[in-house]
Amino acid sequence: MKKVIYSLVALLVLLIGWRHFKPIGDSSAFDRSAFAELPVQVGGRIKPLDSVARNALLVLASRQKVETIDGRTLSPIEWFMDVTMRPEVADTHPVFKIEFPDDLGIAGLAQPGERYYAFNDLLPHLADIQRLHQQIEPEPKKRQPYEQQLDDLSRGLTLYHKLMHALHAPGDGDHLNTISAQYADYSALIRPGLQALRQQQKGEEYDALLLKRFIAYGENYLSLSQTAHLRLVPPPPPADLLVDWKNIGLELLDATQGNGISPYVHDYAKLTEAYRGGDSDRFNETVTVMQARFAADYPDDIGRVHFELSFNNAQIFPFAMQLYVLVFFIVCIAWLRWPAELGRAAFWVLLLAFILHSYGLVARMYIQGRPPVTNLYSSAVFVGWGAVLLGAFLERFFKNGIGAGMAALVGFATLIIAHHLAMSGDTLEMMRAVLDSNFWLATHVIIITFGYSAMFFAGALAIVFILKGLLDKSFDQDSARSLSAMVYGITCFAALFSLVGTILGGIWGDQSWGRFWGWDPKENGALMIVLMCAIYLHARWGGVFQERGLMGLAICGNIVTAWSWFGTNLLGVGLHSYGFTDSGFKWMALFILTQLLFIALGALPWKYWRSAFGRNRYERKRILLARAS
Amino acid sequence: MKPPYKAIASLRLTVVLLSLSMVLVFFGTLAQVETGIWKTQKDYFESFIVVWSYPEIWAGYDKLFWLLIPMPGGYTIGGLLLLNLSVAFLTRFKAKWSKLGIHAIHIGLITLIISELLTDILAVESKMAIDEQGRSNYSFSYQENELTLIDRSHPEHDILHNIPVKLLKPGKTVEVPDSPLRIRTVAYYPNAQLMRGQGMVESPATQGAGVKMNIRVNPQPMDYSDNDVNAATAYIEVLGPEESLGTWLVSNLIDERFPPQMVSLGDQSWEIALRFKRYYHPFEVELIDFTYDRYPGTEIPFNFSSEVVVYPFDSDRNTQALIYMNHPLRHAGLTFYQASFSEDERTTILQVVRNPGWLLPYISVLLMGFGMCYQFALHFGKFLGKRTAAS
Repeated sequence: MKKVIYSLVALLVLLIGWRHFKPIGDSSAFDRSAFAELPVQVGGRIKPLDSVARNALLVLASRQKVETIDGRTLSPIEWFMDVTMRPEVADTHPVFKIEFPDDLGIAGLAQPGERYYAFNDLLPHLADIQRLHQQIEPEPKKRQPYEQQLDDLSRGLTLYHKLMHALHAPGDGDHLNTISAQYADYSALIRPGLQALRQQQKGEEYDALLLKRFIAYGENYLSLSQTAHLRLVPPPPPADLLVDWKNIGLELLDATQGNGISPYVHDYAKLTEAYRGGDSDRFNETVTVMQARFAADYPDDIGRVHFELSFNNAQIFPFAMQLYVLVFFIVCIAWLRWPAELGRAAFWVLLLAFILHSYGLVARMYIQGRPPVTNLYSSAVFVGWGAVLLGAFLERFFKNGIGAGMAALVGFATLIIAHHLAMSGDTLEMMRAVLDSNFWLATHVIIITFGYSAMFFAGALAIVFILKGLLDKSFDQDSARSLSAMVYGITCFAALFSLVGTILGGIWGDQSWGRFWGWDPKENGALMIVLMCAIYLHARWGGVFQERGLMGLAICGNIVTAWSWFGTNLLGVGLHSYGFTDSGFKWMALFILTQLLFIALGALPWKYWRSAFGRNRYERKRILLARAS
Repeated sequence: MKPPYKAIASLRLTVVLLSLSMVLVFFGTLAQVETGIWKTQKDYFESFIVVWSYPEIWAGYDKLFWLLIPMPGGYTIGGLLLLNLSVAFLTRFKAKWSKLGIHAIHIGLITLIISELLTDILAVESKMAIDEQGRSNYSFSYQENELTLIDRSHPEHDILHNIPVKLLKPGKTVEVPDSPLRIRTVAYYPNAQLMRGQGMVESPATQGAGVKMNIRVNPQPMDYSDNDVNAATAYIEVLGPEESLGTWLVSNLIDERFPPQMVSLGDQSWEIALRFKRYYHPFEVELIDFTYDRYPGTEIPFNFSSEVVVYPFDSDRNTQALIYMNHPLRHAGLTFYQASFSEDERTTILQVVRNPGWLLPYISVLLMGFGMCYQFALHFGKFLGKRTAAS
């Protein structure tokens, strides 16, 4: 039986792995993965085009794939290539996600049951969208949901428009098929064009036709330089990481200063023509040349860009998420049958998921060159990681499935939170100067965030206690005592990390602003966690509360931690109020409600507790009452 | 009956006080949305009692405007915690190695509460603005104002007569120390808008900028948001030994950008101004260069820094320093932090902090950190030992 169970679990893991990592049937002759690796400077960092494509899709469609009208599924980079090189095709891809199209108040836009719209679907309504968008509340915090939706849509359209200008000035097929020729024409025109301009200004005789053509190019490229979204053109070597890259339009404009046009601009033109013409040989050849050139100019960065692409493709966190779900199911079954075997299996799968989770964490650190927690997204990834670490430890010692199950649950939940936080775009952005200190990021932030992990983990265990106490008949005095000891131990952990982390934060504050404590919302949040731990510990030591009261306090800890983590960002004041999502408030309220519900359940009179532990308490109370009367 | 000190030292009281402090911190965070950090700190944490009211800007204010929640303030809770802790410490103290960590944590906590109190009372925060290649020997408060009369007749130095604004009560007369002058406050507004009036403006002012520029004063409620400053404004009548010299409009908005307003009596004259309270230092700070770097291709700040030289008045030993994020300059009991800069990036604004108690939190947190780690290691060791023994 043992072997069957282990093989079954292993098989499931392999199945999930295969489903996740199976190669997407990219039969195209075009070397898309090489194109995906081409470098671009965004947010102060050099990254592959693939990351740009993914982030743009996340913003527009809240997912990293496109389902075309003819039922095919496009990868982000395929979609990006369509947007930039075959806009007439891209305009038919439904990528604009509108959650409640009926609410927008635009007649004829909403199609029943459809949440994804293509640019062509929106085209007839652009004037309406623009008109309505001008009327919405300017202060984001005061907006109605439909106003927010309108704003998202409007920004999405702007982003789409900018992306379309990324590689070259957009235009019809004739224009896009002859970009190289236009650049050659423009290059040849620069010198005589400038001369004609000077002659005109001096009032001498000049070639009016030539000047008109030259100025037409200039105007075109000027507007391109203002719209183009991506900085694709690195400065000529030697590489300096602190120099701004140029967008295509700016590079073309600057060619008038006599430096010629960067080979990158020419190459993107060639790529476009080849892709449109179906000439895969020319496309692949050009991409190879571009890659080699970048590798030669930026030998220190090519590795990182390459790694980022493979990290993007691996999608480690979604995979770990599936494994966490598997662990949770195994643990649930283990509580009913084969506890020893399934418990062991759950532990090993948890360990595998943890290793993947850790790999993702380290990979992000390498790509960004920073300690793991730099923004809300990465804090979510880290909170989950810390909780899983604690859970794995508990499971190792207690071997009752509770550690593994709760680790899986918290790990999964935090990765889901991270996934939703990623919708705002790049999650590897640069740090603002105030926060730019690797030392403090590596100590204060990590320790505080680990404190969050411990708080959530203790809270999750407390919820298990209450549910088991109410429902599980086999839950007796000993199990109750041991689970209560677990909550106590983890809360001690949380107290240690929250206090030390808060103290380090105080020292950082003193070092950088001259005050140890400033009552800033995030500081207050951290203080509230410390106070919560102190309340729990003193209540336990002083016998102020019994087990279930303590469990209520531990669940309160969940609320306090969630408040400290997200609530302070909701307020939008103070030094720490970086990055927040609008739907956060709703989720936060929902979370707090569920936690209050658990506390209320825990406060049910003993007679409703079906466990051995609960019945014992009920009997004791009855005896006490009987004696008293 | 239990002796009363037992109730004071009880853990139950500790739990109650800790819970109250959590409530206070929570509402003290919420209140910041409306009243900003500075006022909230005063209202909630540096007070004995505070009443939270439902914020006007929240949804449902028209239905919930009556919602007021009174709670003990920071001083009350801090004081009671201190009492609770000290009495517990005195009555239950046991010199045992296993309690060392607990003692360290609690002594650390006592130190921390005391140091917070000291900081509240003693710390002074101000700002110093210096232009590139310019020098400054004073910093200014950005909350408090003072009325000042400056006698510039001495070639070596100026003589300042400062009057704190809290003495500017309408109708009250105050002697200007060491001068033949007295001032009478006609009106004082903690915050106001100043506008060029259309036609003739009814104004108590008979002298100075108020008359010359025909300024209309529009009193405003105090603004506590972190970005805005309050434009303190007053009409001040200056009285000589015999008669009134006139009434001046003064405001911290009428600053160095405007010609000075002069009060004359015989051949003596004073410059009169209402300005942010200044702290003069026995040294000058020169800004050599201010730099502001951004991440390439973005507007995200990467680094701000000020290269400065400090020239003490009483010695020739100059100090050169680069002040940037997380790297302040400590000099003469003051600490200089990079706080802000002007839009043209040619003027730096340094935060200047005098906090004689700055070392206390460090001692306290060392104690607490040590205690926590000690106690935790002790318990964790025991736990592991038990586990190994069990298996």
